[in-house]
Amino acid sequence: MNQKRLFLRPCTWVYVTLMFLTFITWFVGVNNLSGRFFAFMVLGFALLKGQLIGDYFMGLKQVAGLWRWVIFIWLALVGTLISVAFWQTL
Amino acid sequence: MTGMEKNRWPPGDLVIWIFIMAELLVFGVFFAAYAFTRTNHVELFNTYQLTLDRNAALINTVALITSSYFVVRAVAAIRVDDSRRCFHWLLAALAMGLLFLVVKGAEYHHHFSQGINLNTNTFYMFYLSLTFFHFLHVILGMIILLAVALKARSGGYSAAEHTGVETGASYWHMVDLVWMVLFPLVYVMR
Repeated sequence: MNQKRLFLRPCTWVYVTLMFLTFITWFVGVNNLSGRFFAFMVLGFALLKGQLIGDYFMGLKQVAGLWRWVIFIWLALVGTLISVAFWQTL
Repeated sequence: MTGMEKNRWPPGDLVIWIFIMAELLVFGVFFAAYAFTRTNHVELFNTYQLTLDRNAALINTVALITSSYFVVRAVAAIRVDDSRRCFHWLLAALAMGLLFLVVKGAEYHHHFSQGINLNTNTFYMFYLSLTFFHFLHVILGMIILLAVALKARSGGYSAAEHTGVETGASYWHMVDLVWMVLFPLVYVMR
């Protein structure tokens, strides 16, 4: 039990990661950094954040079968559509 | 949900997951519509995107992520039969939700006081409708969390039966999840 307390819970690591990626995204935004690299970087971060929320916050990492992939499929579809649209204009 | 054993069904009532999928579908269509409409109005979207308050968006993102984290802790608390702590985590989550509403409300007030509305231009039509649609989901999520919190306070959940907590939590995480895409798409990507 005491040994467990020495480490952060997985959900706390996820929280820290989500915050870190959020601050990078904000930094890109407030500095008006544009172009394919930055656009797809923040989109990638968003998709990663979404997957972390699905896996660790919604608990889908512990679910077997198709339900495990519900959020992943949604993120993949949305990410692809947004990428195709932005690719044409950047 | 401990150890390596996998569950067949996601946490909470299965009905909420059907609802979540429907909601995600609607938001997905909305996001795609924004992205593809932007391809015909790149200058307009880039120009008016600069009028948005990225700092407010940061505060709101932090508020929703923190709120979601608090809800995870509330679920963990009820799984060890700690109703009191579950209630307190849910109250903290609600406070973060309230912060989101206040900040977003201030943003809307700023826009409306400048005469901006749905008819101003295509960008604002998308920005206002998309974010307000999400705003309504935050309100609904808070109502659900409040109901769950009150039931938790009165000892309505236990380690053995806490489907309601997981159901409310799943919905709230969906609200958070959608914002994770909305924030970079509308406020940052250009």
